Amino acid sequence: MSAPAVLADAPGQLGGRPMEEWNAAYVQVESYIHALRIRNRVLLGQLVMQVLERAMKRAPNEPDRPAIELAEEELDLLLTEWFATVLERIPTGVEQMLSARGRLALLLSDMPGKWQDQFLRPGPWPEEFVTAMQESYLRAGPDFQLSKMAPRPLDLGPITTLTRFGRLPYTKMVFIWLVFALLLIKIFLFTHR
Amino acid sequence: MPAAAPPTASSPEPPPRLVVRPMSGMFRALRVFIFYSSAVLLTGLVSMLFADLLWRTGWSASRTFLLVLFIILFFLAAIGCMHGVYGLVLRIFGDRRRITRLADYRGQSIAGTSTALVFPIYNEDVVRVYEGLRATYESLEKTGQLERFDFFILSDSTNPDKWIEEERRWFDLIRELDALGRIYYRRRVSNEGKKSANIRDFLNAWGRRYRYFIVFDADSVMRGGTIVDLVKLMEAQPGVGLIQTVPALVNAESLFGRIQQFANRLYAPVFIAGLNFWSQSFGNYWGHNAIIRTEPFMQYCDLPQLPGRKPFGGQILSHDFVEAALMLREHWEVWFAYDLEGSYEEAPQELIESAQRDHRWCQGNLQHSLVLFAKGLRGVSRIHLLLGIFGYLAGPLWLLFLITFHWMRWFHKSTGLSDITVPGFTPFNTLNGTQHAFLVFVICMAVLLLPKVLSLVDLAFDPARRRAFGGLANAAASTLAETVFSTLHAPLLMLWHTRFVITLLLGKGVNWGTQKRTAGGTAWFLAVRRHWGHTAIGIVWGALVWRMDRTTFWWFLPVFSGMVLSIPFSVFTSRAAWGRRVRQSGLFLTPEETAPPAELASLRTRMAAQETAGETTLRPPDSGLAEAVLDPYVNAIHVSLLRELRLNPIFAEALARMGVRSEKVRGLGEKLLAAGPDSLNQQEKLLLLNDAEAMSWIHRRAWLQPSTKIAPWWLEAIRRYGR
Repeated sequence: MSAPAVLADAPGQLGGRPMEEWNAAYVQVESYIHALRIRNRVLLGQLVMQVLERAMKRAPNEPDRPAIELAEEELDLLLTEWFATVLERIPTGVEQMLSARGRLALLLSDMPGKWQDQFLRPGPWPEEFVTAMQESYLRAGPDFQLSKMAPRPLDLGPITTLTRFGRLPYTKMVFIWLVFALLLIKIFLFTHR
Repeated sequence: MPAAAPPTASSPEPPPRLVVRPMSGMFRALRVFIFYSSAVLLTGLVSMLFADLLWRTGWSASRTFLLVLFIILFFLAAIGCMHGVYGLVLRIFGDRRRITRLADYRGQSIAGTSTALVFPIYNEDVVRVYEGLRATYESLEKTGQLERFDFFILSDSTNPDKWIEEERRWFDLIRELDALGRIYYRRRVSNEGKKSANIRDFLNAWGRRYRYFIVFDADSVMRGGTIVDLVKLMEAQPGVGLIQTVPALVNAESLFGRIQQFANRLYAPVFIAGLNFWSQSFGNYWGHNAIIRTEPFMQYCDLPQLPGRKPFGGQILSHDFVEAALMLREHWEVWFAYDLEGSYEEAPQELIESAQRDHRWCQGNLQHSLVLFAKGLRGVSRIHLLLGIFGYLAGPLWLLFLITFHWMRWFHKSTGLSDITVPGFTPFNTLNGTQHAFLVFVICMAVLLLPKVLSLVDLAFDPARRRAFGGLANAAASTLAETVFSTLHAPLLMLWHTRFVITLLLGKGVNWGTQKRTAGGTAWFLAVRRHWGHTAIGIVWGALVWRMDRTTFWWFLPVFSGMVLSIPFSVFTSRAAWGRRVRQSGLFLTPEETAPPAELASLRTRMAAQETAGETTLRPPDSGLAEAVLDPYVNAIHVSLLRELRLNPIFAEALARMGVRSEKVRGLGEKLLAAGPDSLNQQEKLLLLNDAEAMSWIHRRAWLQPSTKIAPWWLEAIRRYGR
């Protein structure tokens, strides 16, 4: 890693921004790389610095933008460029799906376990790593063999008539009257013996 | 990870029509006739005795009503008793007419077969489901036949956190088992039509790739050897459409769960042997732990919508019975493989939880009354449906019986009529009124308890099983204790089932939620809320009977006790500590407890490890959503699965209908970041989570956005990813 020119700056400042801003940017970038399961501290530190250097280079030209925003943008750009190169995809400008594809490839090729040292590194990479990255595909189901189940007619017999009967107006009312009448009959029978 | 091409969609083709030679029904029909005639004979004789008893104190309309109720209830009990009697005889003298004896299946090759093992899930405990799947997978792997099977997790989950957890853990699982391309995960866009539609959706997408499929419940575990045996059985008998295993209840911890588990393990073998006697190739389907021949199922078993309004009309909820009936209608055989071991499931651990499950089943079974008279169904299918319906109608009928009886006693007392009885109407009956009543009571009790006694007799004849239950003395003591428990539990079931039936008849449906299977224990507050009515009914009813007639009170004391004690009964039986204590004393032991099979032992060990690792602890709300947005890998898995889902035109259409890839979804994403998860309702979260592009976009946005533009909730979540 070459020493960044941007480090020569006013006291208490880096790239025209207060040190605290870069500190916050450092934490944010580190969090993301840590979320990618880079656990080796040296590597983690190197990668964060690689991103911050790029951000610091941009900083003087974009004085209105906070350091954290520049750093995150650079991290995103760096990742996308790297994914495009490793996966041999041509960047199209709308890279969010490439980013998702790249992250998935990292996971499937077991970058966090086997290839941490290759992450964000310029090529050439070990062939095994490149093959694993390019050919990994998350298969959630086998090839579709589409068909269409269709219910066969089921003649429900007298029940069909009954369910239609239930839709007739006043059915419930008549039913309640019938229950009431039965109750009266029952009471009468019990009390007149 | 192995490389593979993305799945492709082939155009639907009409399936070939299958024709199977109808079976000769004479032999089977004779068995049905003999079996049910035995129950009718017993019912007839005892009903005569009961009618005679009623007649001795003077006939009345209420006595006619009571007699009718008695006949129905006794007939149901007699059927249960006959299952025990026939089952025991078959188990002692040998049952040659069972699926495992009809063909020499052991040497059958399953080369060239393909079977899907499907796990439909709905907002379940993901850790438990996947560990169960893992136990089955590893067991199947040991058979050396793994390559003939594919596993499908078919999610219908509507909880965003559960959805993401399912995806994340699915990936962990396939990585740990090196099972990419062997264990698949698919979540439906909408859970319309519930479990049966979930299975249908699987069949429509992949069904034709598999000759058979085995349906699992969320808590099912099956031994690899048993799965292979099921496929062999299907291969050996091409006329069989479905084989239902008899799952053993396992892994219970609470006292309630262990009692249910013990009853299932001790009584079921005898009972199911009896069931198999009369059902033969016209068996039934219980919805899981069963193998199904895919093609006839796809051709004949899609369920029609029932006419009328909910809760009876609309979608058939208890689909399994109807699917078996439809299979039988088309001359495919359905069998119980009751002697195949290695099929397991779990059951509710608490009384209240069990009642909630009953409520769902009650609605489903009562719905079967609409299918009962459907043209073309086999008579035996109608019997299965009818028994299912009466499983829930028996409660209200028993309550009606008790009310009528007490009404009669009250009327008798209040009118000052004497208890002097006339002689019975048969010259053979020389008993006095009290002796006569006692005889009827003893017969009823004998009929109810005989299956339990016969199960013990069966155990006595089998030394290996006897040891597995902790010895005959332990099993007998456990049976006695289980009988006391059932006596107290029965009145509660009666009240619950009555309420379920009434509310359903009034048009109130049931929410088919997730089943809780762990022994967390019922809180006192919940028990009071759920049982205060039972307690009040027990106190008031008991007090009235006490005032009316002390003798009657003592006779009905067990019924009142069950109600009055329902709150502590419910709480204490739900406790895992009580379950453990009783286990230490050797009560309610089951074969899976005394000698756990490898797959259950592995499941238990892994679940304990997961618990120790904190994987089973409840996670904060929206933790799944946070992962899907922030975690680079979880987000990538999620987006990848969504993109693959879109390859299925049905899902692509459903997603488009939902409004994915619209500006609205982007707006929801902005809102989620700016105001936090509480700003979206569940439907909005699901919509956002269904949009691959939006999810990929929001991941970058969440990390790129300056902290001033996103909600503090997200800053806190991002902080957790730091070192």
